[in-house]
Amino acid sequence: MTQEHQPILTLQAVRKSYRGRAALQGISLQLFPGELLGFFGPNGAGKTTMIRCICGLLKPDEGSITLSIPDSFRGSRASRPGLVPQNLAVYPDLTVQQNLEVFGRLEGVRGAALQQRIDEVLEWSALQDRRRSLARTLSGGMQRRLNIACSVLHRPAVLLLDEPTVGVDPQSRERIYAMMQELTAAGTAVLLTTHQLEEVETRCDRIVVMDHGQIVADGRLPQLVASSLGLPHRVELSFQHPCVVELRNFEFDEQRLTAVCRLASMQQLPGVLEVLQGLPEPPQAINVRSFGLQDVFLALTGRSLRE
Amino acid sequence: MILTFLRIAYLRLRNNPLELLLVFVMPVLFFSIFAMIFSQGIAAGTEKPVRLGLLLPGDNVAAADLQAELQQNTSLICTDLGGLPTESGRQERVILEAQNSSRYDLLLLLSADFSPAEEDRFRVRLVTDGQNAMAVAMVRAILEEYYAVQRVEGVVEQLQESVRSAAKERLLPAAEESAGQGAFFREPISPRTVFAGSGAPPSVEPGLAPVSADQPASVLDPPTDPAPGTFAEAADPDPETLLAAGPEPQISVDNPQAADQQNPRIAMYAAGIAVLFLLFACTGHAATMLEEAESGTLDRILVSEAGLLQIVAGKWLGIFLMGCLQLSVMFVFAEAVFRIHLWQHLDGFLVMAGSTSAATASFAMLMATICRTRSQLQGTATVIILSMSAMGGSMIPRFVMSDRMKELGRWTFNAWALDGFQKVFWFQSPIESLRPEVTVLLGSSLVMSLATLLMSGRWRRGL
Repeated sequence: MTQEHQPILTLQAVRKSYRGRAALQGISLQLFPGELLGFFGPNGAGKTTMIRCICGLLKPDEGSITLSIPDSFRGSRASRPGLVPQNLAVYPDLTVQQNLEVFGRLEGVRGAALQQRIDEVLEWSALQDRRRSLARTLSGGMQRRLNIACSVLHRPAVLLLDEPTVGVDPQSRERIYAMMQELTAAGTAVLLTTHQLEEVETRCDRIVVMDHGQIVADGRLPQLVASSLGLPHRVELSFQHPCVVELRNFEFDEQRLTAVCRLASMQQLPGVLEVLQGLPEPPQAINVRSFGLQDVFLALTGRSLRE
Repeated sequence: MILTFLRIAYLRLRNNPLELLLVFVMPVLFFSIFAMIFSQGIAAGTEKPVRLGLLLPGDNVAAADLQAELQQNTSLICTDLGGLPTESGRQERVILEAQNSSRYDLLLLLSADFSPAEEDRFRVRLVTDGQNAMAVAMVRAILEEYYAVQRVEGVVEQLQESVRSAAKERLLPAAEESAGQGAFFREPISPRTVFAGSGAPPSVEPGLAPVSADQPASVLDPPTDPAPGTFAEAADPDPETLLAAGPEPQISVDNPQAADQQNPRIAMYAAGIAVLFLLFACTGHAATMLEEAESGTLDRILVSEAGLLQIVAGKWLGIFLMGCLQLSVMFVFAEAVFRIHLWQHLDGFLVMAGSTSAATASFAMLMATICRTRSQLQGTATVIILSMSAMGGSMIPRFVMSDRMKELGRWTFNAWALDGFQKVFWFQSPIESLRPEVTVLLGSSLVMSLATLLMSGRWRRGL
């Protein structure tokens, strides 16, 4: 196994309880260099506890958490993960530059190296022009970018982001994902928790679903759909009157008013729809859709409300 | 619609126990504290007597008489501190020692030749440390009353003597003459006619003012227009005239420790106000830790190279330095405007400012660690700080409190801070005398810091 395929972060059967309540029940997970991992689950699933354990803020009751820093990060202070909290964890009454300076110092970066790193990070986060602005005067998107920028000054090998795109406009969101892509391209492993399913579907390399302190699904979206829902596409026909004709590949409900067909690929759709040509009464509606993360999520975690 | 707003206000109040505490319990608590102070303190009459130290001449009957009189007064607790040293330097040392003992509100010294009978010998020196102005006023009033009574008694005796003398020297020859003529027995002389006479106008005797026959007269009524050199002037039979014309008692009030200060109370109030605001300012500064915890900034810092111990120590140091700076600004201003003689007591000030700021910083950090939200901290700190300030002497001087209240106040560290500042600026005590105050302040700072460190693990667990 090459170094790039060795996990940078490994959680092995991690357990953590609060006052007798199990928050993590044997979590095992691997994160690879340059990977953008989407991590999501219902509220109270244990995501925050897991992140706090990875950061070292909490000590697991059982299990182990191992960081294996690649050679490309040696010599830096990369062994400490970067943490981007959900709230704006910056000092609103300091300027952008001052915030970067204090958090850089706290990460042990000083002197000329710090100034150089601040310049790089400002350019990376497109905040050069607002260097001397107070953080509280920035727009929501700028504040979010500053929030992320403050966490990468020490070039962490692992970056943990807790809902980094909450409340930002599409342009800023694009910029934030562009920043993350630059990080992953440089080999940084990024773990992203979010409830923005669309973003996870389209942006993340891998998706982990967590519920009740356990990982209930781990893989790419097609794998998750296949494992939790079966075939990924669905064709539904609705009739005004009960359909008296049998349709190949379709299953009817009891009243024979609705017929459903599952497809492995959208390329099968034209062939499937050919059967409709000989019907005495055409369907009132034809609904074709592909399963997404929302369906996987609900299938795995249920529809009951949490917290 | 208006009722809906009323309902919102009611529901918010009902759902917020801390606000309920501030709105309803806090006033009652404060009332209780102030009621305790005033019911067992300055306004309690006999329950809070003035502690009077007596330095009297040994073999002086008048002084002993005054001492007996003072000891009978239930508003005073008199303590005989022994004889008054004759040597001036030793006298001042005795006074200083008595004041520094804090056992007396006031010292009373009588001159060696003290006598209430002779106005220029009624000389009383009251020595105060300036804390209890009421004690000075009360004892002065008692002394003035004593002096007035003594004067009246003297006048009465003088009048009686005058009457006896007049009767003996002026009337006895006339009586003897009348007796010789048999007239004394034929027509008894009414006391009213001693001076007025009857029948034929009497001849004016030398030394007697002329009195008309139709003008009632009395031995106690003064002549309307006594001529100079007459009996009336010599005997001075009018007690009002005697008292009005008499000299004031010579009661001097000294405050030797504050003799070189323009306004000796300023330093004490500067300390009281400074410590009160220091507590609020430090707690407000410590609240930033909760703010950082709420925003996630603290998590980010905890993940960084800085450990929990460094974070707590760094925050503590920031609050400590801010406290020192705040006290310095306060006292420099007091020096500039009110001349509290800061530069003469700079060493004592620095020691007290440092130890007070240390205790206050630790208190603020502990409060921030115990409370879970900023609003909780704000409410709780307000209750505790105001209570501490009321009991500790920032709001009401401790000398007006009862001994029990003073003892209770000793459980608050700001009382020790105020005592220390008072020693420095009021009593002008040497820096060595601050050892108890500094020990208590630094000790409490250490205890509170340790408690903060023990409980600071919760920052890692999140709020």
